Amino acid sequence: MITLTHFLVVSACIFSIGLYAVLAKRNTIMILVGIELMINAAILNFVAFGKYDKINYGGQVFALFAIVLAAAAVAVGLAIILNVYRHFKTINPENIHELKD
Amino acid sequence: MNTFLHISPITASILVMLFPLLAFIIQAVLGKKSISGNIALIGIIASAVISLFGVFLPGWNSTSVLQKWEWFTIGEHTLYVGILVNNLTALMQLVVCIIALPVHIYSRAYMKGDSGIHRYWMYLSLFCFAMLGLTVSLNLLQLYIFWELVGFASYLLIGFWFTKETAVQANKKAFLINRIGDIGFLIGIALVYAHCGTLDLSTLFDQTSSTPLIDKNTPWATFAGLAFFLGAMAKSAQFPLHVWLPDAMEGPTSVSSLIHAATMVAAGVFLLCTVFPLFNETVLLVIVLIGTLTALSAALFALGQYDIKKILAFSTISQLGFMMVGVGIGAWDAAMFHLTTHAFFKCLLFLCAGAVIHEMAHLKAKAQLEFDPQDLRHIGGLRRFMPKTFGCMVIASLSLAGFPFTSGYLSKDSIVITAYEWASHLGGVYVLIPVLLIIVSILTAFYIGRLIFKVFFGSFKYRSYIKTGMTFHEAPNAMLIPMLFLAAGSLFPLFGLSLTNYHHTWIMQALDVDTVYPTLTQAHLFIPALLTGGAILGWLLGWNWYVKNKYPLSENNSFVHFANKQGYLNEFNDRIFVKGSIKLSRILYAFDRHVVDGLTNLFSWFVRQLSVVVYWFDKHVIDGLVNLFAHATYYIGHLVRHVQNGQLQAYLGFALTIVVLGILYLIIK
Repeated sequence: MITLTHFLVVSACIFSIGLYAVLAKRNTIMILVGIELMINAAILNFVAFGKYDKINYGGQVFALFAIVLAAAAVAVGLAIILNVYRHFKTINPENIHELKD
Repeated sequence: MNTFLHISPITASILVMLFPLLAFIIQAVLGKKSISGNIALIGIIASAVISLFGVFLPGWNSTSVLQKWEWFTIGEHTLYVGILVNNLTALMQLVVCIIALPVHIYSRAYMKGDSGIHRYWMYLSLFCFAMLGLTVSLNLLQLYIFWELVGFASYLLIGFWFTKETAVQANKKAFLINRIGDIGFLIGIALVYAHCGTLDLSTLFDQTSSTPLIDKNTPWATFAGLAFFLGAMAKSAQFPLHVWLPDAMEGPTSVSSLIHAATMVAAGVFLLCTVFPLFNETVLLVIVLIGTLTALSAALFALGQYDIKKILAFSTISQLGFMMVGVGIGAWDAAMFHLTTHAFFKCLLFLCAGAVIHEMAHLKAKAQLEFDPQDLRHIGGLRRFMPKTFGCMVIASLSLAGFPFTSGYLSKDSIVITAYEWASHLGGVYVLIPVLLIIVSILTAFYIGRLIFKVFFGSFKYRSYIKTGMTFHEAPNAMLIPMLFLAAGSLFPLFGLSLTNYHHTWIMQALDVDTVYPTLTQAHLFIPALLTGGAILGWLLGWNWYVKNKYPLSENNSFVHFANKQGYLNEFNDRIFVKGSIKLSRILYAFDRHVVDGLTNLFSWFVRQLSVVVYWFDKHVIDGLVNLFAHATYYIGHLVRHVQNGQLQAYLGFALTIVVLGILYLIIK
């Protein structure tokens, strides 16, 4: 039988993959994908823990809410990346280091 | 006359004092405009008249009167300033006035045309004021103030011709030596005040009270007596502090006559007479010894002098020695008597010498010669040109030598005979004192004879100039009248009608001091005879030596040199005190330079070295510490700055690491 632990392990794996993508990828689009993966890992956790709220389905509802938010965030993120690309002519984060002191 | 009778002797003696002061102030204000000397003359005439009619005649031989005013209070002691009129002070004040008056008149002619004449009159008035104030002072401190004023005024007058180097040296010397005496006087005053708590002469020496304030046989009284005597020694030119007086001849001759006769040098004797009750046997013996030594040494030095004024100066010192002996043997009445007679004839001697010098200086100026007008070797045979001066000077000289019919005879005999009585009462070696005094008297006759013979007899070196139309004449009347007046005062009638017995003179009768020793009648016969005989023999010898040119001694005789150089005392002082002080100051300079400065330098060197160490410490340790922190901070910052590389992913990675570490910490905790 599939238990809560299985969900959480899968969720942790997806989160780690997302984290890795955010930290290591040389493409900003891929970082955005990594963020999306991490959000989805969190949404998976919502749904998994949603079994404890069988009256209001708060977990499920919050998952839907989060998915919408993630879509919006991705849209914003892509817009930023587009602007960054226009400005720097690259989307490799190693070359974008204006934050440096 | 009647108006004077209405004012008390006290008021009168204040007036006597104030007139010269007023004259001094007026002349000081007028400055160069007052050259006639009339103001000073009027002042002294007023003083003399008031002194005679207002103080002396009413005050003489009556009980002493005094008046005092509160001066200032220190703690519980109040010091009084006041006036004391008794026989002694009235006599002294009168003598000062009577001597100062002819000197003022004489000065009008003598100082005429001097460029500094306005200063002369001013100083002369100040001098008279100081001396007149000194005579009637009630308080020892008050007396001391006038004493200092006298010293200061004499300093001004001795150095009157201040462009002359010798005059400047002389007044400096007089001032310095008088300072030594002043210290003595001051110590005496301090001792008396410490032990008695008062300085009033009337309280201190109250004869009427049953318990005297001063027990004179105590050690402090001896010290105080010696201290007062030291003061008198300097002022009255006693050996060895007499050295200033011969040098003081650098002042104008009229000033010399005043200093020598009544004002400056008389102050010392007057002081001793005033504080006489304080002296015990020891002090009196010291006074006698110093007095005799002074009389003898000064007479010897006078023999070898060529300068007219220096001979007279040494004769003054010698006569002051006599007065000191008079005080020392307890007969201060005889000392005061001699002081009075001496004032007349010594003043006259100086005025005569001044007249001679005046004429010699005129001759020198007119004939354009180069010689010292005071040097005996250039003067001679003047009796033909200046017969009146000659007559006056002979009278003064006879009086100085103690020849019968003169006042000097009476007063000198009074001292010598009393000294003989004193010595025969004590017996033993004390007899040496009167014997020495007799020898000194004969020497006195000899050296004053030498002066007369050299100046008025013999041949005149510059006679040829006079023949060629140069005038050389008698002194003018303004100088002659004072001289004649003083000549009259040098004869016996002024002091009493008795020719031979000094006990019958009015001064001795009024002052009369009880002596412990008996009167010896035979001494009254043989001592005057001895003195007169000795004087005549001395003059005969002098006549042979100086007039007939049978001079037996060569000029290079060591004794003549010794006497001429004043016993090498100046050289001695110069070597011991002046050179000694210079040497001492050199040593002190070296000490200051090497030890004191050395110490300072050592300290500064030490401080410098210390500061080098401190600098090093500051630079390396304190700054080092600060720098260390700075460097450490910088290095740490350097290490950490790699975090801020601008890489978005790197920031995220670090944040993650920290979060992971935080979680690990929470787990492990």
